[in-house]
Amino acid sequence: MRKTLVAAAALSLTLALAACGGGGSDGTAKAGDAATIQIGSMYEPQNLDNTAGGGQGVTEALNGNVYEGLFKLTDDGKVEPLLAQDQKVSDDGLTYTFTLRPDVEFHSGKTLTSKDVKASIEAVTAESSKSARKSSLPEIRSIETPDDATVVVRLATRSISFVYNLSYIWVFNGDATDRTTKADGTGPYKLGDWKRGSTLTLTRNDAYWGTKAKNAGVVFHYFTDATALNNALLTNAVDVVTSEQSPDALSQFEGNNAYKVNNGQSTTKLLLAFNDKVAPFNDVTVRQAISAAIDDKKLLTSIWGEYGTTIGSMVPPSDPWYEDLTSVNAYDPEKAKQLLGGKTLTFTLDTPSYDPHPTAATFIKSELAKVGVTVNINTITADEWYTKVYQKHDFQATMQEHVNDRDVVWYGDPDFYWGYDNKQVTGWIDQAEQAKTADEQTALLKQANRKIAEDAASDWLYLYPQIVVASTKLSGYPVNGLNSQFYAYGITKS
Amino acid sequence: MSLDPETLSPPAPAGTAPRKARRRLSWHLVLGLILVLVVAGAVLVSYVWLPFAPDDTSGGRLTPPGGDHLLGTDKLGRDLFTQLLIGGRIALGTALGAVAVGGVLGVSAGLLAGFATRWLDDAAAVVLDILIAFPTLLLAMLIVAGAGASLGTAILAIGLAMAAIVARLTRVLVKQVLARDYITAARVAGVSWPRIVAAHVLPNIAPVLLVNLALQAGLAVLAEASLSYLGLGTPPPNASWGRMLFEAQATVLTAPAAALAPGIALVVLVIGMNLTADGLRDLTDPRRRR
Amino acid sequence: MIAYLLRRTAILLGSLVLAAVVLFVLLRLLPGDPANALLGVGATPEQIEAARRELGTDAPLATQFLRWLADVATLDLGKSLVSSLPVGPEIVARLPVTVPLTLSAFVVAVLVAVPVGVLAATRADRWYGPVLNAIAQLGIAVPAFWVGLLLITVFALRLRVLPAGGFPPDGWGDFGAAAQSLVLPVVTVALVMSASLIRYVRSATLDVLGSDFLRTARALGASPAQALWRHGLRNAAVPVLAVLAMELATTFLGAVVVESVFALPGLGGLLTRGISQHDYPVVQGVMLVSTATVLVVGFLGDLAQRLADPRLRVRP
Repeated sequence: MRKTLVAAAALSLTLALAACGGGGSDGTAKAGDAATIQIGSMYEPQNLDNTAGGGQGVTEALNGNVYEGLFKLTDDGKVEPLLAQDQKVSDDGLTYTFTLRPDVEFHSGKTLTSKDVKASIEAVTAESSKSARKSSLPEIRSIETPDDATVVVRLATRSISFVYNLSYIWVFNGDATDRTTKADGTGPYKLGDWKRGSTLTLTRNDAYWGTKAKNAGVVFHYFTDATALNNALLTNAVDVVTSEQSPDALSQFEGNNAYKVNNGQSTTKLLLAFNDKVAPFNDVTVRQAISAAIDDKKLLTSIWGEYGTTIGSMVPPSDPWYEDLTSVNAYDPEKAKQLLGGKTLTFTLDTPSYDPHPTAATFIKSELAKVGVTVNINTITADEWYTKVYQKHDFQATMQEHVNDRDVVWYGDPDFYWGYDNKQVTGWIDQAEQAKTADEQTALLKQANRKIAEDAASDWLYLYPQIVVASTKLSGYPVNGLNSQFYAYGITKS
Repeated sequence: MSLDPETLSPPAPAGTAPRKARRRLSWHLVLGLILVLVVAGAVLVSYVWLPFAPDDTSGGRLTPPGGDHLLGTDKLGRDLFTQLLIGGRIALGTALGAVAVGGVLGVSAGLLAGFATRWLDDAAAVVLDILIAFPTLLLAMLIVAGAGASLGTAILAIGLAMAAIVARLTRVLVKQVLARDYITAARVAGVSWPRIVAAHVLPNIAPVLLVNLALQAGLAVLAEASLSYLGLGTPPPNASWGRMLFEAQATVLTAPAAALAPGIALVVLVIGMNLTADGLRDLTDPRRRR
Repeated sequence: MIAYLLRRTAILLGSLVLAAVVLFVLLRLLPGDPANALLGVGATPEQIEAARRELGTDAPLATQFLRWLADVATLDLGKSLVSSLPVGPEIVARLPVTVPLTLSAFVVAVLVAVPVGVLAATRADRWYGPVLNAIAQLGIAVPAFWVGLLLITVFALRLRVLPAGGFPPDGWGDFGAAAQSLVLPVVTVALVMSASLIRYVRSATLDVLGSDFLRTARALGASPAQALWRHGLRNAAVPVLAVLAMELATTFLGAVVVESVFALPGLGGLLTRGISQHDYPVVQGVMLVSTATVLVVGFLGDLAQRLADPRLRVRP
């Protein structure tokens, strides 16, 4: 029997040795433009086609990296020409003529032509399209391609946001058949290997028409659990995390010279959304009372610590029509009681089962109890939320994250799930889209947003922070993550 | 979920003398019961007294252990010791609920199969084999997939999976008892089946079943913790130990107490249940009775 | 033996079909329309109808089941509702993580459990017998995910000797990195598995130690070790073999949970994601593959047990 004991000891020794042999894979890391950047993210694409439900992960990995649009949205929110060299707008604002940059090639070697652009726009507007951008595009009458370098788009209505929206439409090779697992774009990276559930590799496109990527390639490492992601950063398995989803782990990076915590601009808002069409929330004073009864700042601190901001409306600071509206229906429990006038109130809060909603719901429940309002928390799955709340409007109040920029315009749609119906606001929002100048648009949307905030159409609890944590060896990475894009071509590693 | 090793081993031939190596004092039972009672006691106390209200967030975010907060606070500022006590309710509740579901369904099904004709019994054996082929956690995940994550679903799912295991064991035990000579003798003497079940079968199989259910209770606690850890069990903000561990892993370097306490509580309860099962077996197994 | 083989094979095939039925029924009885999952925000009723036609969920259940069986028979597991990519290749792509993880954890668990279990039984009178037994008691009471969490904290975050999770982009092409990323998960699963195995081995050894033939062997002059080695192990192996097959299945299950602790791209991760996204072709596919594996392993385990124990070759 002594032999077995020895064998067991030997085995544990082997395991221990195997354990000690680990961790040495960094020895081969290269610096400068030969370096490969390891990026950690929570958002794995579902597939690689953003018109077939690829999700925000596909934007993060491919937008601007593999695919490019006629225009690009820079990290600080400006719209700049990319594949379009020149644009002309007719006086009535209905006809746009774009001239394409010459000598742009797809990764497959095919030259970019106007036909590819037409196919790309049509893929977004097609009936089968699941693009999130579909509804924000104006009605397009026709797309013409008089020659290989010219695209003429005719709109049914004026749309001041049209060019901005084009920055979200990727130009792909119109001859490509499979866009769900392959990608043929014009960007600074070619698509490498996609190991689903794990990694997606992009390699530098050395035939790129513009400034070539400053690194040899990037690998997106996908995680479903924030802790595993942070552990990967702590153990140098990744160099940068695109977007921290919880502040819990930040303290271990803040005090550490090897990491930099970047606090950028975000467009994600956490909403307590009322169903403005049903009791008790068809009463504007009830909505105002609830908004005044919840201490948003305290909620934000308990979820995000020192990060994030309260904005008091649907408009984040990166939208041109932002103004600080935190003073509208500000936290004031006495005023809330007054508005409720001694009524006791009970409502059901449909709470998505994933963080931070249950946490926030618990907080809201305890805040509202102080003003005599009883909240029943009903936990639902994302799927149920979609059916019950979004489609059937069968709810009293719910919580949801709204990630898009410039999405205050949804309050102009009385059929949207929250059922906010104010003719004046709808009118202003329509006019804003038809506006001739950006200033006119901004003024109208500011006016509309103020009204929406005063009406407490929803309670905008807080604006998420956008936190990029990176190794201090890294520079040139985007910090704002607008619309969840992550341009990787400027990143260098020392 | 695995079967109990010792109920699986073939029955000892009659007349085997108790062996020295297996003679154990029932300290298993004593220690096991003490551990289970510590947890049960804490849970009972939690209904009368808690250090803080469950959703009292006045403690401040991630306060370290010590002072007013024995184990510190979670990220919402809730007292972790309070959460731990409430988590105990969920753990014990799962154990009791799942054992009730699994015990009642499993024993009934097993009795029926045990008494059935050979053909029907074969069919029952196959069905039970298949049900057991779905490991508890997978079966529970499947049920949770549609019914939505909740404590009730988790208990039901764990109980159902347990029922298959208990049924299979009951069936085997019933077969063994029915094969004994005195049953044949009783049949020949004209004793009715219900009387045979009540007088001979149940008393004979009850000890082994009891031991097995005690073990299954511990496994049920582990299964619920795993489900909650995966986000498929008790939904937040309710404190299940599995859920608490999931939340604590983000701050394991800065707040290790939060990652240790619920784990230790789980181990204490499950070891308690397992030792109780061992002790009960020592008490009831005639091979070991001294 | 041949009659037994035939009967057992028939039971296996029946089980497989029945398992498919159970799986199908369970998943279809569950509430929620898969068409919802397929379409994004803003779908019209016409689009939902079209999606249901495309999925075939508008057909009667029986038709759907037959269609599904026919597809499965041709190894077509359908398309994911979320990614609209085929499920079969996705499962295959996950195997290089789950299979090595399960098998190595199983082998390590057996290599640890057999000697330790035998020692715990034969050396019950020495100090380490009870200690080994106590360690095993502790091992079966510890949740696997917690062990993983503690191992990550110590070996990855504190000592920095092993990766905390993930799998290299090149997979097994980068053998060293792939092996390293599996060390902690394998240890986690093996620790928990070996604890319960130790108890089986110990119990089986105790039964054999007390048996008449072993005492006879001792009486005939064999040393205890010789007696156990020559006559005991084969007999102790019989109950252990039956249990091993079941433990292999349990190891796989352990791997499912542990994969999520270590962020490994295996079947477990696929299943958990499928469940949270209500992607039922994925859930169905993974469950079918794993159930079939468990059934086949059980079948092989039974056969092995028959071969090892002549007494069992007659029907009990």
